Amino acid sequence: MNNKRRLWQIFGPVLCAFILLLVVFLLPWERTFSKDSVYQAANSQTTTIFKGSRMKQNAYQDGYVPFYGSSELSRMDPLHPSVLAEKYHRSYRPFLLGGPGSQSLAQFLGMQGTAEQLKNKKAVVIVSPQWFTKRGQDPNAFSLYYSPLQACNFILQARNTRTDRYAAKRFLKMPEVKGIIKSGMKTVARGGKLSTIQRLALDGRRRMLNNEDKFFSTFQLRDRIQKIRAQGKLLPDKYSIAGLDRVADEQAEKHTNSNDFGINNVFYKKRLNKRTLDRLKGSQRDFDYTKSAEYGDFELMLDQFAKQHTNVLFIIPPVNAKWSEYTGLSQKMYQKAVSKIKYQLRSQGFDNIKDLSKRGAQQHFMEDTIHLGWRGWVAVDQAVRPFMKKANLPYNYNIHNYFYSKKWQRKPYAALVNITDKNTLKVDQKDNLKGN
Amino acid sequence: MNLDFINLQPYANPQYFIYLMIALIPMIIGLYYGHRFKVYEAVFSLVFLFLIFDGIKWREGMNLIIYLVIQFVLTFAYLHYRKVGKNKTWVFCLAVILAIAPLALVKVQTAMPQKQIPGVLGFLGISYITFKTVQVIMEIRDGAIKKVNPITYLRFLLFFPTISSGPIDRYRRFAKECDVAPARDQYVSDLGYAVRYLFQGFLYKFVLGWFFGTYWLPRISRSALIVGNMNGGLKLSWWLVAYMYCYSMYLFFDFAGYSLFAVAISYFMGIHTPMNFNKPFMSKNIKEFWNRWHMTLSFWFRDYIYMRFTFFAMKKKLIKNRIRLSQVSYLLLFGIMGFWHGLTWYYIVYGIFHALAIIINDSWLRFKKKHKGKLPSNRFTKYFAIFVTFNVVCFSFLIFSGFLSQLWFGWK
Repeated sequence: MNNKRRLWQIFGPVLCAFILLLVVFLLPWERTFSKDSVYQAANSQTTTIFKGSRMKQNAYQDGYVPFYGSSELSRMDPLHPSVLAEKYHRSYRPFLLGGPGSQSLAQFLGMQGTAEQLKNKKAVVIVSPQWFTKRGQDPNAFSLYYSPLQACNFILQARNTRTDRYAAKRFLKMPEVKGIIKSGMKTVARGGKLSTIQRLALDGRRRMLNNEDKFFSTFQLRDRIQKIRAQGKLLPDKYSIAGLDRVADEQAEKHTNSNDFGINNVFYKKRLNKRTLDRLKGSQRDFDYTKSAEYGDFELMLDQFAKQHTNVLFIIPPVNAKWSEYTGLSQKMYQKAVSKIKYQLRSQGFDNIKDLSKRGAQQHFMEDTIHLGWRGWVAVDQAVRPFMKKANLPYNYNIHNYFYSKKWQRKPYAALVNITDKNTLKVDQKDNLKGN
Repeated sequence: MNLDFINLQPYANPQYFIYLMIALIPMIIGLYYGHRFKVYEAVFSLVFLFLIFDGIKWREGMNLIIYLVIQFVLTFAYLHYRKVGKNKTWVFCLAVILAIAPLALVKVQTAMPQKQIPGVLGFLGISYITFKTVQVIMEIRDGAIKKVNPITYLRFLLFFPTISSGPIDRYRRFAKECDVAPARDQYVSDLGYAVRYLFQGFLYKFVLGWFFGTYWLPRISRSALIVGNMNGGLKLSWWLVAYMYCYSMYLFFDFAGYSLFAVAISYFMGIHTPMNFNKPFMSKNIKEFWNRWHMTLSFWFRDYIYMRFTFFAMKKKLIKNRIRLSQVSYLLLFGIMGFWHGLTWYYIVYGIFHALAIIINDSWLRFKKKHKGKLPSNRFTKYFAIFVTFNVVCFSFLIFSGFLSQLWFGWK
């Protein structure tokens, strides 16, 4: 056999494989998911689902409602929104988005692929004041939730607006953003136009990532359906607040008997050994959630909702009061941060706010240190249930670029304005526009 | 300092191979037509080395350069010493000790992260380069190496495909190949092997290694910790057994995959870097296992520690009984191997465990020889031997993994 033939025999299959791979990844495949896998995905909180598009799009079309949040969503006791929706055959099902360390910037990125599907629909956001640390989104956590697919979506749809420039600048601060996506982000941040080559490269990359998402998003799903059904069995067959409260107290009683903080036994045993406890005493005395880069990132989320005309319910959770006393976290500061968040929401027309922040001392309200649990979830349901019953109406918001400014991020505190009092708003708006 | 560079760790992700293969094309075409483009090869190696040691790793890069200077001074000083005809044992020992010193310091340092030894910092691949230099110094002493070409030596030490994790090549073998182009027929066969090894490596590292290491291992480890803590005592559970097998598979496929990449890329470059694994889990006894597992390392240890110590002890009549002698040599060999992996109890226990396994195996072989014909030997005993060896090895990897440390004492 001559050498040319041998070479062909060696490299021919490799070339064919390579071409085949490109074809497979670049073809516009379609895929729908089974009802079961959508339900699994909605409750799995895996990062693959968080970063993807197809599964979310599919789910929102099927009547799932996104619940944006962070680690509290994984506190799946019987009163968790997913369990309640299943048990009482609600017209909606929560689609849980977020986990430890997912803050506004990660959430904003994750929202990119689903603007179409959420238009004039509903969403719930559990916005934790703990997100509002000085530097905002933790870069390490961001890398866990970073989705190149959504980054491509963002860049390819970006326009020269304050929002898009601001978002691009923030993304560029995250070390995970690399390669052609990074250069695209730089262009957007500059307010420039993507070159033809950039557009072509990003389009190709997006197509590949979209296919990857379609092929692999059902991989590694965490199946919590059995757990949800089992938890549901603990609930009374007929819905009543009193009945839920009773179950909440029973469960909480049983699961928090190892400590005086009202912290879930497992959490307490696993995460708070003697040494950690000693170290944490008084450790949060200097925490200040009122000055934070997060306020700007949070505005990105709000802007996205405004663009989609999504009707959003915001829930602001408290901290376990005994815990905050132990760690020295100032309740006064916490309330200031809450009112600043509420100001940002209300002044732009986001009126559906359930403020639970003052209820951290209520017994069985929290599952552990900072996460909602039993009674807390009941309180959440008292807001979610009526909210979901309302008709889907197109919502219009007034977005102010002022909330991207450093001035707002550093502003110590914003007293709540009476929205009906036009004068206060006017004065403030003038200030806002100057600050921009 | 702006650290915003592209930094590429070798064989870390599939994209890396695209860059690598594109950069290899000119070299492959050259070798096919019987030319070795040495300048291109040098530039290629430097670029890919730079990409390993740039950006946030620049300090490692600096250490590599300092290390190379030290090793060069040492090697050529000793070569000169031998050339003038002198051959004192203490000078040889000093040279070897000095050659190993940087590695030893790095190992001590990694064992005690809170204590910084000033100026000492490791870099990716320090072990493998040290093995290469020590080998050269020892062969200079033997007279097997009489000449060292500085350029060839540098190419040998920094041979890009194998720098970070081996396989460990030999200088004389490398020097024979690195200046000439292989015959076309030979080279085409090499390319065939290279492609095969490359794809076998993909299967091993990115598919099987991923499944065992990234997909299953964290889940099993979590379960083993939770159930173990519930059980109390020695914290044993069936999950620990699952962990043992899963980790062993991960260790093999990840490392064997890596070695296959290194061999494949070497073959593309017309260098026959030796294979590192040869179906190790098919071994019928522990001795055979070490002839099939991480072969270049175990042969290195055999040639430069076991054999040397045995001859030395025989010559000095330290231990007269030959069986005793080989037992002591094994303990020494595997003890050093354990220490080399790192100064933690589980690496050292892992080393001693293997030494004991080989000692027991040896006495069993002697027993078998004495009772020839009385012991059955058939297909069943063969498979049984493979089964026992496999499990002994997997258990040793459980020790090696350090998981017991985490399970029992809560530290890694």
